[in-house]
Amino acid sequence: MHAIQTSNLTKRYGTSGAKSVLAVDRISFAVEEGQVFGFLGPNGSGKTTTIGMLVGTIKPTSGSFNLFGASDPKGLMVARARLGATLETPNFYPYMSGRDNLCVAAAVKGVGRPRIDECLELVGLSDRAKHRFKTYSLGMKQRLALAATMLNDPELIILDEPANGLDPQGIREIREVIRVLANRGKTIFLSSHLLTEVERTCSHVSIIRQGRIVACGAVAEVVGEGGAMLLRAEDPEALAGAIRAYPETTSVRRTDEGIVAALNADDVASVTRYLAGQGIYLTYLAPYRLSLEEVFIDLTQGAVDSMAEIASG
Amino acid sequence: MMLGVLLRIEWLKAVKRRSFWVAVGAFAVFIAIPAVERIRNVHKNPNLSYALPESWPDILGAAAGLGPFFVGVLMILLVAPEFTWRTARQNVIDGLSKERFYVGKVMLLAGLISFFIAIAMLVGVGGTLFSPSEGGPGILRPTDLSYLGSLALSLLLVGSAGLMLSVLIRSSGLALGALFLYLIVEEAVGRLISQAGGGLRRSAEYLPSNILDQLGNDLAHYPEVLADVNSRRMERGLEPREFLDVEVLAIAALVYSALFLGLAFLSMCKRDL
Repeated sequence: MHAIQTSNLTKRYGTSGAKSVLAVDRISFAVEEGQVFGFLGPNGSGKTTTIGMLVGTIKPTSGSFNLFGASDPKGLMVARARLGATLETPNFYPYMSGRDNLCVAAAVKGVGRPRIDECLELVGLSDRAKHRFKTYSLGMKQRLALAATMLNDPELIILDEPANGLDPQGIREIREVIRVLANRGKTIFLSSHLLTEVERTCSHVSIIRQGRIVACGAVAEVVGEGGAMLLRAEDPEALAGAIRAYPETTSVRRTDEGIVAALNADDVASVTRYLAGQGIYLTYLAPYRLSLEEVFIDLTQGAVDSMAEIASG
Repeated sequence: MMLGVLLRIEWLKAVKRRSFWVAVGAFAVFIAIPAVERIRNVHKNPNLSYALPESWPDILGAAAGLGPFFVGVLMILLVAPEFTWRTARQNVIDGLSKERFYVGKVMLLAGLISFFIAIAMLVGVGGTLFSPSEGGPGILRPTDLSYLGSLALSLLLVGSAGLMLSVLIRSSGLALGALFLYLIVEEAVGRLISQAGGGLRRSAEYLPSNILDQLGNDLAHYPEVLADVNSRRMERGLEPREFLDVEVLAIAALVYSALFLGLAFLSMCKRDL
């Protein structure tokens, strides 16, 4: 059964016109129960808006979605009781202690007080539970958010950048918590910039760019999609130039090992024939497994280029 | 979700807030000062009296003076930061619908009104225990009940305006500024309309702050006191004071409150968090 399913989900901020922004553009994806699903995209790509629509804080402009099969308002309210989520930064009452903040969240979720202590213990905040939230470090705030998310022992956990502001040890702890939850059969929908963490933790990913899904599926599929090749020739410059001009090439990158070319189709014979036609004879050719980070950069290159242009003035 | 649970959630948020207790304390002091003064005067001059039910106009009048503004400001201080801290959004993510979040705020308003009236009564009634005066028969007269109801409506009127501004503006500083700016502008507009005379002048009486002034004025609720005041004014050649009927004032206050609460509800439901 799908824990989440979206169909042409769209959000436009502002009325149509020059000032309106199409934040999410007809995205469709599905998250099966028990999956650890990574939701990736550069800043401003529409990740938080998408999550906002799922958790009911943002109204979709068009399209639809369902949670645990429910899509009507009443059914969604029931389904949302089965999820725990945090969006962007941890949102708590700064004047209240960590424990009191969890008391508010527990009252909203209809959870008893003993569960508060369990969750504080789980995230290692029992010692600081009586201190005011505003005195917490960012890492502690993130852990409190995770504790609040788990209060109702949700079946679906939505985490938006849970590792933001954490040191390597904190990131490792979050990863461990996610792994423990996944092993308990929880469905996890994880939005993160830490691609290595996502690759290690998630079974499936969806990559969003400028409001549109550009890749979606099992991590192995997305990473292996279309294939990539590691190429060497006597003249690396000429090789890079030629392979860049090859119609099936999506990206070319120089590495210490040689030229890595991501291709839409992994037809080796066509590539070698094309390069020979350009007067380039390969000394080495092998399949190359891109990392999730490399795939992400390839697929979101436009956004990265735009940032580089802005930076260079 | 039961209303009691929503009230408990809002109460938990409010009582942990220092500004809540500062406002409650300031209000208690504000209404205690005239009561203490009255008691001191009674001790000095046995001809004066501070006892129930005769002193209800004094007790309720003190609360009606600044009480509505305390409730309005407190509503803004308690509701608007929910949007800047994004806790409103988190409450909705945690399982409150936007409608229930709004109902929680209405419950908070109802709680504040009850709490402020209870403080006014405790301070006022408690003060009479220290007074040597003896009151007339009974504790509450129908006119006292009318004044008490009007005090509740005054608190509701400004409290609902505070809730509306909080939900529309979503910033406590700007919402407070808007509340005070409105009061200044309304006073100026009301003065201009009053100078026009005729039917237009009558319409100025229905502006929210005029409704508030009349609801909180003891003369509107105690005809015998009003008659006494007016006879003295006439002796001095002044025009007699007039007030709208208490029923009309109550309906006007309810209509304004419903309008403010309705706008807040629409904004809460329509806008993204």
